[in-house]
Amino acid sequence: MSSPELDVQNLKVSFSTLRGKLTAVNGISFHLNQGETLALVGESGCGKTVSALSILRLLPEPPAEILSGKILFAGQNLLSLNAKALRDLRGRSISMIFQDPMTSLNPVLTIGEQMAETLLRHTTMNRQEALKKSAYLLSRVELPSPKEKLKHYPHQLSGGMRQRVMIAMALSCAPRVLIADEPTTALDVLIQAQILELLENLKNETGMSILIITHDLGVVAEIAQRVLVMYAGEIVESGPARSLLNSPLHPYTKGLIASVPKLGAVKKKGTRLEEISGNVPSLDQRPSGCAFHPRCAWAIDKCKTQKPELRPADTERQWSCHLEPGSL
Amino acid sequence: MELPLGAGIVMNTETNIPLLEVHDLKKYFPAQKKFLEKQAPPVRAVDGISFALKAGETLGLVGESGCGKSTAARTLLRLIEPTSGQVNFFGTNLFALKETEMRNLRREMQIIFQDPYSSVNPARRIGNILQEPFEIHGFQDKKENAEKATQLLEHVGLTPGHFNRYPHELSGGQLQRVGIARAIALNPKLVVADEPVSALDVSIQAQIINLLLDLKERLDISYLFISHDMGVVEYFCDRVAVMYLGKIVELADSEQIYNSPQHPYTTALLNAIPNLESGRIKQKASIKGDIPDPTSPLKGCAFHNRCPIKEKQCEEEIPALKEIVPGHHVACFLKQ
Repeated sequence: MSSPELDVQNLKVSFSTLRGKLTAVNGISFHLNQGETLALVGESGCGKTVSALSILRLLPEPPAEILSGKILFAGQNLLSLNAKALRDLRGRSISMIFQDPMTSLNPVLTIGEQMAETLLRHTTMNRQEALKKSAYLLSRVELPSPKEKLKHYPHQLSGGMRQRVMIAMALSCAPRVLIADEPTTALDVLIQAQILELLENLKNETGMSILIITHDLGVVAEIAQRVLVMYAGEIVESGPARSLLNSPLHPYTKGLIASVPKLGAVKKKGTRLEEISGNVPSLDQRPSGCAFHPRCAWAIDKCKTQKPELRPADTERQWSCHLEPGSL
Repeated sequence: MELPLGAGIVMNTETNIPLLEVHDLKKYFPAQKKFLEKQAPPVRAVDGISFALKAGETLGLVGESGCGKSTAARTLLRLIEPTSGQVNFFGTNLFALKETEMRNLRREMQIIFQDPYSSVNPARRIGNILQEPFEIHGFQDKKENAEKATQLLEHVGLTPGHFNRYPHELSGGQLQRVGIARAIALNPKLVVADEPVSALDVSIQAQIINLLLDLKERLDISYLFISHDMGVVEYFCDRVAVMYLGKIVELADSEQIYNSPQHPYTTALLNAIPNLESGRIKQKASIKGDIPDPTSPLKGCAFHNRCPIKEKQCEEEIPALKEIVPGHHVACFLKQ
């Protein structure tokens, strides 16, 4: 097997706040294989977006600070690149799409102007060629009448169309890695289905790798080959999507899957959903030992004091829990 | 049992009058007039919807964003004024009430909003937020109000320790519990829940849904539950109304909706939900395109440009909502 496209090693990110230095990402390691779709799953505040933003160094530093770690891409450590090298990389080799397409497009520039900007920065095209290429890219993301759309402003497009524009823009320089941060969370289900299918088709055509960040296990089941589950800044379980969703190892993963209302699962009206009690801990109140223990139904004394390490369950799967596999 | 509602309105809860009857409710928003251009037609956000809600029942109102479900909820509570139509609350026509009468009646009908952060005053303590309903509705005893507010906190699974906290000190899930506590403070008969769990994390979503189910049992509340999430709605609702571009396209018991959906739009919504077990959408992206612009509605059935089974008739005539089997209403020519 070839070396991974992106290799994140022991990444640790903290933020300086009035409440002191808070660790948002606490030493996570993962890799993204070529042509793979990897999902980073977790609830808000678990550090998934911070991890993704660190890859492109998009976090404001300060208050953010990358305390340790390496992010290897194409033989270089992204964490040691200077500002110019990073600008050359962003949007060309690694692109990103964001959750809310309205706030990530510039409202006072036309779609054409902002799409051409990326191409003018990274290629030798002139304005004319860049606009022509932009129209072609918009047709690739199945936007109707692309030439006209270039003259439109973001507010003239629907949410689904704007997200297509974002995707077209992200793909304009044929990146090797696409980071998609909650790309369908702001969209309706019918549009979500269309966007997920589009991402998959584009991935198959171009051979790029996708790191998708989501809280929606349905989206994971739909598009990802492999999954990382994060909780309180750490990876608690990882493995192939199918086996992880069908037989979760970690109590948190199991709880997450159980709390999703599933179609056809209601036998009697008023059936209660299985819930995970308690709240996601805030960064300054990280519980001792295993961060999940106050919410865990299986917690034993050891969980309160001793932090479990991420350990292999089999050749493909890892988890961090003191319990024995299969004891849930 | 008679509930005094002030202002001379007496509500009788023992007859068979439905809790809520909505007749041909319409809400049009005028389009902005552009200079030297003809006045554009209005946006038909809610375009003639009718339904009834029996006491103790939970009705789901589902649809994509922009279909008018939130506008419908706000209009029928008279938070915005309707264009036309009638809404009866235990037989009282809400739109005929004076403002003071309406305000008195509001204690019987409350709303829970989607975003808990923007629906509370960030500068007030939680305790004060929860005392406000009592103050507005004429309960002047401050000590008693504070006690009631503390009880409310416990009802919704928070602790008295939250009383003196500010909204920013609470998590989204905790703050949504505050929003729910505020809504149930005056023992309303009807609670409109407008996407109450959409802004919350999955593990918290389940907690809030369970809380709403418990409160329904304990306090005898009827819910109008607005959501875009068909999975959540199935858990929660006795009947479901599916909206598309301001109209109800299907209305039936939730069992019928989920087991034998008739309208192609309902079918598409159900098919678009990713399945955790199999990991494949049943029919991949069966529906193409977006909701049409509500200022220039399509001729004929509003869904025809995205419909996989449309026929000639659909492009020309607007299908009416008809009962095809008892209790199951559909607005589609091909299913009637």
